[in-house]
Amino acid sequence: MTYAAEISRANPSCFVFLVDQSASMNDPIGGGQQRKADVVADAINRLLAELSVKCAKEEGVRDYFHVAVIGYGHAVGSAFTGPLAGRDLVPLSQVAEKPARVEKRTKKVPDGAGGLVETTTRFPVWVDPVANGATPMCRALASAESLVSDWVSRHPDSFPPIVLNLTDGESTDGDPAGAAWGVQTHVTADGAALLFNLHVSAANAVPVTFPDTDIALPDGYARTLFGMSSLLPPHMRFYALQQGVPAEDLARGFVYNADITSLVQFLDIGTRATDLR
Amino acid sequence: MITSSLRVPKQGHTPRECEDAAHVLTGPDGSVLAAVADGASESLLAGEWAELLTRTVTDAARDDDCALQDADRFAAALVRAGEAWGEWLSDYVAEREADDRPIAWYEQPKLERGPHATVLAARFDTDASGVTRWDAAALGDSCLFHTRGDRLLRAFPIESAEAFDNAPGLVNAFNRDHDLLARHVRTVSGTAERGDGFFLCTDALAAWLLRAADRGDRPWQMLAEFTRSGDLDGFTAWLATARAEGLMRNDDVTVVHVDLG
Repeated sequence: MTYAAEISRANPSCFVFLVDQSASMNDPIGGGQQRKADVVADAINRLLAELSVKCAKEEGVRDYFHVAVIGYGHAVGSAFTGPLAGRDLVPLSQVAEKPARVEKRTKKVPDGAGGLVETTTRFPVWVDPVANGATPMCRALASAESLVSDWVSRHPDSFPPIVLNLTDGESTDGDPAGAAWGVQTHVTADGAALLFNLHVSAANAVPVTFPDTDIALPDGYARTLFGMSSLLPPHMRFYALQQGVPAEDLARGFVYNADITSLVQFLDIGTRATDLR
Repeated sequence: MITSSLRVPKQGHTPRECEDAAHVLTGPDGSVLAAVADGASESLLAGEWAELLTRTVTDAARDDDCALQDADRFAAALVRAGEAWGEWLSDYVAEREADDRPIAWYEQPKLERGPHATVLAARFDTDASGVTRWDAAALGDSCLFHTRGDRLLRAFPIESAEAFDNAPGLVNAFNRDHDLLARHVRTVSGTAERGDGFFLCTDALAAWLLRAADRGDRPWQMLAEFTRSGDLDGFTAWLATARAEGLMRNDDVTVVHVDLG
């Protein structure tokens, strides 16, 4: 059975995030006011926070994953800011301990009496929004492939690496399909590396989450990214369905102008802390 | 009646990291009260919550001989455990502050959600004629097995190895919804004879036992050899082999053996 390896400190897995930091990320996301660069940076920071919380125990965050964040725009390289600047794969415990800063944000939560009350939460930041230069997606994917290849050779029995590309899809250094396939050719005993894509677009089209066909996708960029995306492994589809997100048999790890933070909840690190219903 | 228990962390974890708990008490009337609980790995402080749960439900079973016969009464004990958790947590947070180790940003969301655990408790009362009446109550997939010689008489609350998954029913420390808890509580009662054995097991061991029993084996006999001798090292080595051979999921393991002698 594939995609069933235990994720543990002795047998960790890895995450490589690719963040589009090109000039076109200055444009607002479809139907909204927020810049694409802000949406993507926010998504990365929330993913890293969710992953850290998921793996947190009393003694700190456990190194179930090693994480890299590669930016691509005027250059291709580590997108971490703060103490982790310049680093590629970092054990998750260090990620959790070393954000660039922890901001305070307010959010509204139910007050238990049918209303909402404002509360403050801590929001760690590792990646700032950047929008500058071209979109060398092929080089970014090649950089991810290099990390994945090295990981697989050092951890041949691990849950396969997951590469998540956050982009507006407008590659400027060629068709990224070949480089995307290159990432997915690296295999552990538990399966092939997974490549997922979050497409943030200026087009005001209907958000799409884990589609099994590209028919409803609005443009060629979206269809290219859909075609590059791995099939969601069965257990991930199961968890998506559990969370009320439709994911058919051939659903791919592709999201268009929608939230992808739920991906973290698709990872198995032990008995889930689920509430009774 | 002789009771013994063994508790082994999952492979790669230290004993301190084991999030299973077991507790055994003898009541003033000679009854034996036993409980196991299994903290959810995704929770923070799951082991501490499991420990508190086992103590609370064994106390409840000692103080009220119907506590395990009735889902409502068992649910009331679970709510009391949650109330005790609130106090425990305040002390914990204060201690962390005093130690200059305040709660980190990545701990806060899990502390606010509260820990989750399964729980199973059993009470055994033996009368003058040697007949033992037993009651058990459970929420989640920790299991009780009643054995007699070569036979597995009862598996509770899960009867099939296929029914285990990684999302069992769990008691959350902040759940005060008595009716919801009661709906998920299962109870069972029965009688037993001298010579019978009862095993209270957390899920990985329970699933292994049911699979072995389905094959026609008598896994409780081997288990009893470890529990009777208290051979923790031997049990740990046997678990390591069973896990390596894929016979058992790598998880914390706890067993309480109540031997009617």
